[in-house]
Amino acid sequence: MNKDLISMDDLAIEEIKEFIALAKIVEDMPAEQRVNYLHGKIMAAMFFEPSTRTRLSFEAAMYRLGGNVIGFAEQAATSVSKGESFSDTIHTVENYSDILVIRHPSEGTARLAGEISFLPVINAGDGSNQHPTQTLLDLFTIEKYFSKITGLKIAFVGDLKYSRTVHSLLMALMKFGVTDFTFVAPESLALPDYFKPDDDRYTFYETDSLEHVIPDCDILYMTRIQRERFPDILEYEKVKDSYVIDAKMLARAQSHLKVLHPLPRVNEIAYDVDNTSHAGYFPQAKNGLIMRQAILLKLLGVQL
Amino acid sequence: MSDKKNLLYIPKIENGIVIDHIPSGEGIKILEIIHSYPQMKDVVITFGLNYLSTKFGSKDMLKLQIDFLDPKIIQHVSLVVPGVTIKSIKNYEVYKKIVIQPPDVISNLLECRNPKCITRSERHLETVFVVVDKQHKKVKCNYCERVFNLNELETRIQP
Repeated sequence: MNKDLISMDDLAIEEIKEFIALAKIVEDMPAEQRVNYLHGKIMAAMFFEPSTRTRLSFEAAMYRLGGNVIGFAEQAATSVSKGESFSDTIHTVENYSDILVIRHPSEGTARLAGEISFLPVINAGDGSNQHPTQTLLDLFTIEKYFSKITGLKIAFVGDLKYSRTVHSLLMALMKFGVTDFTFVAPESLALPDYFKPDDDRYTFYETDSLEHVIPDCDILYMTRIQRERFPDILEYEKVKDSYVIDAKMLARAQSHLKVLHPLPRVNEIAYDVDNTSHAGYFPQAKNGLIMRQAILLKLLGVQL
Repeated sequence: MSDKKNLLYIPKIENGIVIDHIPSGEGIKILEIIHSYPQMKDVVITFGLNYLSTKFGSKDMLKLQIDFLDPKIIQHVSLVVPGVTIKSIKNYEVYKKIVIQPPDVISNLLECRNPKCITRSERHLETVFVVVDKQHKKVKCNYCERVFNLNELETRIQP
């Protein structure tokens, strides 16, 4: 077993299934039983970049399991702002805790931390590279809704260039044997070629029309279009509304279609979708808390 | 006639390194690589172009008056011109010979092009690239996981 959770690339399909199975056990477990597992353990939440969901759900997960949390929520509050290297910060904090959870704007930081630290390291997002805990909770959500992963038609919508959740999930779906992918994105935010393997098994259907893909797919994986990425604000204005989904558009969807979103949303999912059976994003956020408990238990070596 | 021809040949060296079986025209690339390493600046090198070769028709050849060639340089050469032969010469005789092939992992040679890669800010960190596609010369950064074509990447040589 890997000491760390850094990238979906490191995980064999069996290991991914183990995480999902473990999350199911955690979900069914009474809260009073759960609270004993990590008693006396300390998680260091090292967030060099702002985050709400990931940080709070990791902290809540640790408390739910009876553990404690130390950490910081922005780089300005750390010695890194005084010029300390990332490596030195890791070597210091590892003495204070039992497990490290790291979010950082630079890519490869969690990998580096895992290499230099004797503690288990969890990547909570490194730049636009990987976000494996989000991917595991996405897979857990998909598995809960559809009781399968292989064979589903999934359309990714929005910012496919910079979204690490898309990159991580895509990699995992390929491991599960998913071969048909639909990407809906403006040209300037299209999925980079290095995520598309040079392999005849895969079909990548790319379009800029969201309406076209709705009737056909099982899952719409929405992402926020990040305004700040556009060099020209006019370009942003042009594309932002083409990727807004509302209840009316979903009338043409298959009844089982689920809309997922790593959140936060801005305007890409209209609020009227919340009350439809298609809305899967808030349960998805709840699954995050469960999956992160499963991840903490597994990496801290607790056998259930 | 054959004596005259022989006069043009690179003389044998007593001790040193011979890089042989370089496809014609590629020798200059290897010479450039060797020259980019500061410790190689003063090494006596003989460079031959377009020699007759039973294997290739014609070949280039380099003779270096040096006892030992840094494995990092060999790794570098193997990436740019794979398949050349490196011979160690002692007392005019070949005592060791290897045919070099590109490695599976490239350590501390290439600079990652991704400006957000941690290897760009933590300078003490050695870069590691894994060759993911030998045929198309594609490598993946061990840290940021970005995949590059080998020819996109600059080398990271410490002066």
